[in-house]
Amino acid sequence: MATIDCKEFLVYLEPWMEGQHHPFAEAHLGECAQCRAMVEDLNQIQVSAQAWGAEEAEPPARLWTSLRAQLVEEGLIREEEVVAETRRSWFHGWFSGRPRLALAGVYLAALIAVAFALSGPVNERINRQRWLAGMEDSTTPVRAHLAKLEQNTTLSPLLDSNPTVTASLHDGLAIVDNHIALCEKSVSEEPDNEMARDFLFDAYQQKAELLAQLSDRGGYGR
Amino acid sequence: MSIQPFTTHNRKTVILIASAVFLTAASPALAHQIEKHFKVEPRSVITIHNPNGKVIVKAWTKSEVMVIASHISDKVEVAAEQTGNRVDLMTHQLADTIAPEDLRADYDVTVPEDAELQIHDDSGEVSVTNVMGDMNVETVAAGVDLEDDAGYLNVKTVGGPFQCLRCAGQIEVTSISGNFRFLDVRSYHVSARTSTGNIRFDGEFLPNGTYRLKNYSGVIEVRFSPGDSFDLHATSLKGKVNNQAQLTPHNHGDRSVPKYGNTLFGTFNAGQAKVELSSFDGTINILKRD
Repeated sequence: MATIDCKEFLVYLEPWMEGQHHPFAEAHLGECAQCRAMVEDLNQIQVSAQAWGAEEAEPPARLWTSLRAQLVEEGLIREEEVVAETRRSWFHGWFSGRPRLALAGVYLAALIAVAFALSGPVNERINRQRWLAGMEDSTTPVRAHLAKLEQNTTLSPLLDSNPTVTASLHDGLAIVDNHIALCEKSVSEEPDNEMARDFLFDAYQQKAELLAQLSDRGGYGR
Repeated sequence: MSIQPFTTHNRKTVILIASAVFLTAASPALAHQIEKHFKVEPRSVITIHNPNGKVIVKAWTKSEVMVIASHISDKVEVAAEQTGNRVDLMTHQLADTIAPEDLRADYDVTVPEDAELQIHDDSGEVSVTNVMGDMNVETVAAGVDLEDDAGYLNVKTVGGPFQCLRCAGQIEVTSISGNFRFLDVRSYHVSARTSTGNIRFDGEFLPNGTYRLKNYSGVIEVRFSPGDSFDLHATSLKGKVNNQAQLTPHNHGDRSVPKYGNTLFGTFNAGQAKVELSSFDGTINILKRD
C-alpha cells in the first residue's frame, strides 16, 4: 500500500476524528509515533469537550507541549519563547474562560499549529518549488477548515442584540480576510519568507478565533 | 403688576416642584441599582460578564469585594453571587429580543489588591486600577484602560483600544484593529499584537526583559532614553524602519540579515533587554524620548 507522510496525513485528520479511518491514514498512524500521539491528544480533547456541559475542561497539557516541541525542533520558534509563553499560550487562551469553542475549532487550532510546523523546515536549503509545495500542503487543510467553519457560522447582524459588537466582529473579519489574502500572495511570491509565513498563520489563527466568537453570538449572557 | 415677595411658603413649593421634576427625570437612571458586599480570602477570583456598559474595578486594602451595579432596563438583570473564594457578576438578558440601549449595565467594583480578575465586556469600557493580581480581560469593541496594575495581564480585544499606564508584571495583549499605548510601564515581559492598530511603547526596558511588538499595518513607535539598555531587532516586510538609536552590532553574532524586508538590528548600551518589533507593511519608529 502506498504510504503517506505527515503533511498528507493532515488531509485525513478530520475524517479520522469523525470515525472515517482511511487505510492510508491508518497505515501512516501505524508507523508515525508523532501523528499517533497527536490523534490520541485530539481524542482526549473530544472526550473532554463532550463533557463541557457539566464543567469546564482543560486540554491535555501534553498536546500543547508536543506541538511546541515540534515547532522548536523545526527551528520555527526558540526555546526561550516557549518558556516565556508557557504560562499562557494562545492555545490555553482559547480554552480559558467560558467554553465557547466548537469542536471544529479545536481541531482547527491544532491543525494550524501543526500546519505551521510542517510548512517547511527553515534551516534547510530547498528549492522554491518544494517551499511552494510544502506551503500548499500545509495551508490547504487549514483553508478548507476555515471555509467550513465560516459556512457554519451565522453572520446575520439581526441575531445579535448589540450592533456595535456585531459590526466590530465583521470589521475584524474583513481585516483578517484581507490580511490572509495579502499574506498568501506574499508567501506564494516568496515561499521561503519565514516572516510572511508567520504573519499568514497568525491571520489564520485570528480568523479561527473570530469565527468562534461570531458563532457564539446570541447565546451570550442568557 | 407688583412683584410678590419670595416667601418661605413659595420657596417650599418651588423646592417641592423642582425635586419632583428632578426625581422624574432621574428615575430611569436609578431604575435598578444593587450594592453587595462579599467577604473573601486572599487571592480571590472575581469574574464579570457584561455584554454592554462600563466596568470599573478599583482596589482597596479590605478583604472584601464591593459591587455597585446599575442598569436602566427591565430586560436585563444583574446577578452577583459568591462561591467559595470566587465572586461572579453577570448581566443576564431576560428577553429574546432587546434593544442595544436596554442591554447596558454598569459595574463599579472594589476588590482586594491581590484579587484575580476575569472580565468579559463586549462593548462599553473597562477600567482597572491598582489591582496586583492576575487578570484576563476580553472585549470586542470596548476599550481597556489599565492603571497601576501588576501581575499577569492578559488582554484581548477585537476593535477596542488598549492603554496601560504605570503597569508592571507581565503584559500580553492582542487585537485586530485596536490601538495600544504602553505608558510608563515597568514590565519585564510585554507581548503586543494588533493587526491594523498602532502600538506606542513609552516605558522602561528592564534588564532581561523581553518586549515583542507586532502589527500588520499601522505604526509601531518605541521611545528610548540614553540610559536604556537593549538588543533591538526590528523588521517591516513592506514598510519602513526609522531609527534614532545609535546601535552597535550584536556582540553575540547570532543574527543573520533576513533575506526579506527592511531590517534593523543591533545593541544599545549593554543590550540587557530584548526588543523585537515586527510589521508586515507598517512603519516602525524607534525614537529618542523627549
